[in-house]
Amino acid sequence: MAEAIVSVPAAVKSGELIELKALIRHPMETGFRHTQNGERIPRNIITEFSCTYAGEPVFSAKLYPSVTANPLLTFFLRAATTAELVFRWRGDNGFDVTERALLRVG
Amino acid sequence: MDTIDFNRRSFLVSSAMAGGGLAIGLQLPFGATSAQAAGGTPEVNAWVVIKPDDTVVVRVARSEMGQGTITGLAQLVAEELECDWSKVTTEYPTPGENLRRKRVWQSFSTGGSRGIRTSHDYVRRGGAAARIMLLQAAAQAWGVPASELAVDKGVITHATSGRRTTYGRMAAAAAKLAPPEAKSIQLKDPKAWKIAGKPLQRLGLVEKVTGRQIYGADLKLPGMVNATIRECPVFGGKLKSYDAAKVSGMKGVKQVLRVGDTAVAVVADTWWHAKKALDSLPVEWDYGDNVRVSSATIAADLKAGLDAPKAFVGNQSGNAPEALAAAASKIEAVYSYPYQNHAPMEPMNATARYTPEKCEVWVPTQDGESSFAAVLAASGLPADKCEVYKIDLGGGFGRRGAFQDYVRQAVLIAKQMPGTPVKLLWTREEDMRQGRYHPVMQCKLTGGFDADKRLTGLHMRLSGQSILASVRPAVVEKAGGKDPLSFQGVADGGEHSIGYSFPNLLIDHAMRNPHVPPGFWRGVNINQNAIFMECFMDELAHAAGQDPLAFRRQFMSRYPRNLAVLDAVAERIGWDKPAPAGRHRGLAQMKAFDSFVAAACEISVDSTGKKVKVHRIVAATDPGYAVNPAQIERQIAGSFVYGLSALFMQECTVKDGRIEQDNFHTYNSMRIAQMPKVECIVMPSGGPVWGGIGEPTICVAAPAVLNAYFRATGNRLRSVPLKNHGIELV
Amino acid sequence: MQSTLRELTGGAPVQRGRVKLQLPPLVENGNSVAFTVAVDSPMTADDHVRAIHVLTEQNPQPNVMSVRFGPRAGKAQFSSRTRLADSQTVHAVAELSDGSFWSDTVDVVVTLSACIGDLV
Repeated sequence: MAEAIVSVPAAVKSGELIELKALIRHPMETGFRHTQNGERIPRNIITEFSCTYAGEPVFSAKLYPSVTANPLLTFFLRAATTAELVFRWRGDNGFDVTERALLRVG
Repeated sequence: MDTIDFNRRSFLVSSAMAGGGLAIGLQLPFGATSAQAAGGTPEVNAWVVIKPDDTVVVRVARSEMGQGTITGLAQLVAEELECDWSKVTTEYPTPGENLRRKRVWQSFSTGGSRGIRTSHDYVRRGGAAARIMLLQAAAQAWGVPASELAVDKGVITHATSGRRTTYGRMAAAAAKLAPPEAKSIQLKDPKAWKIAGKPLQRLGLVEKVTGRQIYGADLKLPGMVNATIRECPVFGGKLKSYDAAKVSGMKGVKQVLRVGDTAVAVVADTWWHAKKALDSLPVEWDYGDNVRVSSATIAADLKAGLDAPKAFVGNQSGNAPEALAAAASKIEAVYSYPYQNHAPMEPMNATARYTPEKCEVWVPTQDGESSFAAVLAASGLPADKCEVYKIDLGGGFGRRGAFQDYVRQAVLIAKQMPGTPVKLLWTREEDMRQGRYHPVMQCKLTGGFDADKRLTGLHMRLSGQSILASVRPAVVEKAGGKDPLSFQGVADGGEHSIGYSFPNLLIDHAMRNPHVPPGFWRGVNINQNAIFMECFMDELAHAAGQDPLAFRRQFMSRYPRNLAVLDAVAERIGWDKPAPAGRHRGLAQMKAFDSFVAAACEISVDSTGKKVKVHRIVAATDPGYAVNPAQIERQIAGSFVYGLSALFMQECTVKDGRIEQDNFHTYNSMRIAQMPKVECIVMPSGGPVWGGIGEPTICVAAPAVLNAYFRATGNRLRSVPLKNHGIELV
Repeated sequence: MQSTLRELTGGAPVQRGRVKLQLPPLVENGNSVAFTVAVDSPMTADDHVRAIHVLTEQNPQPNVMSVRFGPRAGKAQFSSRTRLADSQTVHAVAELSDGSFWSDTVDVVVTLSACIGDLV
């Protein structure tokens, strides 16, 4: 699977409430696990997610180790005009991934 | 575990409620022990339904898989209820019902030998509460104090007035009463038991023996289709592609379906047609890296763990490494134990019917709630749209509780054919290849002696697979990476604690987890730990020039219950007298699942050392309490069938990342003619803790036989199964 | 979990209601449990949900996720997946624009935890 997959509806009317999905590949290593030899495996998680629409914030999340690997987020947006959606994930060890999608509103 | 929720609303008599409440699971065409719902039959409480004809239906949350737990639980309820045992039948509430009623029946989990020992208190209170309410109803009807009433076998009498009635006539009125406070109920002293504690015949036995018992594999529903499945034989691999066109024209074939990422299934009118098509289906797998794994690579990895500098400590006292370094003499031995398969007689199966409005699954399961959880996850439907109907199992042994893979598969297939009931039944080959295997393990034991041949230190280093790291990682995480279950039978406390105190002891585990999926095989880790510990105890005794029983006694002064069962078997086998000519004896003891068990056996070995006959095994168990002594004896004997078959004949080897043994020709089991006579000493000693029955004894037969083999031949066998040494059980 | 909750609410009282947390009541092993939180709110500038926090009582760390809604959100609802270490109660706490806090809880049973009794 690609690093990030976002799902954005195709043909949308202005004012419509739409559902967005954002999925990213990431182990979400909690920092509580140990190797077979008893050594602690360091934490490696995504800590922040944000989604903007035409530059304005829609939804943002702080993620903690309890979140399942390959975090999936589903949230909602009130569509207005055709504009860019920007999805960004940041986390431990400099993790920083951005995915863009155009929301066509006609 | 003392709180019980007796839901008052559920006591109201209403044909809709009763029909709905009692009809679930009862309209289905199986289970002679399931009572037919009569309109308006009330339940007195969640545990007890009493029909107008005085039939008693006891609700049982656990699963029957041939271990007789259903009968035992019914005996406990009936004892407190004071009903007529000849009128008792049982019924399974569904997991959906349990949820709707805030889990009034609590856990459905049937494993860990806990069916009776963890539920006896609340089921007895359930029976007692029903009795109290029935008496109260009669008291109210007659306008007399309940204390003036007597009850025996479901007949209520009032001595002074001579009045008499039965439970059947009082049930409707009782159902309307408020239940007594659970904690206030006085349970009967087991010494006064008339139903519990007795060797009563198992419920459902006649159906089983006459073939009327319906198993999941037998289930037939209207409009049902049949499916069989193949998952990637290399664990961790994926399904790449398959050529459905090659088989879709075959007789009876309806569908060829991808199931998740890893499996392909064929659905047909009959199971045989589905199997024939699946056998002919061209399939391509993406095996992944695990294809390079073999028994040899696994063994090498485990061997390295025996000397690894770091290992998880499970039990220690004093300073074993120091004591061993300073020892005047030492002995050392390396033992090994293989992967093993549950191999129940009934292959994995589940029947599912899915629509967007309802997903129903019929399944032989050791935990109806685990099955329900799997249905929720696989169907994507909310709880109020799902249901699971439990069917008695054709063998569980630990395969069908923690692992619901066949349920998930059945739902995923049914989802692709909405409205049609699909019975998924694995082939025997699939069952053998997609097991949840008893983990592979090696063990290095080192014992040190002083100049007078007194034991000064013992180090037991386990190297091998953790079950919980795969199955319940949260427990391992909480323990800092350690799997506490690896130390069953030699732990430093709890239900599986060690039965010896050594001056300096270290028991540790170098965890090495191959890719083969592990699971809970009857007895779990006591199987190998009993061999490791009890055979090495004999080795130590021999090195010290002492009798194995006398040697053990030195370390057991703090373990009187262990000693009691060990002495019991030693006495019965005649340990202090010579064995009959040509026969040799061995013994072993362990504590597991809060029961204390021991075995002593008598075997003979031919002059080549290759043919072994087990003439006699004496087994003793102290489970605290014995609910059905006859059933306990059968469980003990059955555990020896399982344990001795494993000892002599059973291993699962790995080649090219997959399990090689795919049917009983390469994974054999003992036959009646090979089965020794088993004498059971059931010696419950009471106390606050109830011990389990289903598993504990399984672990002591093998070490007793191995110890006897040494005394017969002078050869120490340290790896199993014995067929690998060319040894045959005759 | 209580101290984490206090940090998030600043000690303000948390009332039951307004929030709907959905989680399956039974899960096998808790490795991946889907959940949805929804708050019935007009999501206008004057009346909206500022944040929703999801917390567990038994996980090694109580916080699962904290989310904030922007003015474009349109609906105070989101879904994701959490790990659950054991049978426990999961909490969803919403902070509204008027400064009030509301919560919902769901009890989730991890059926596998019965499998091995009390080991740790």
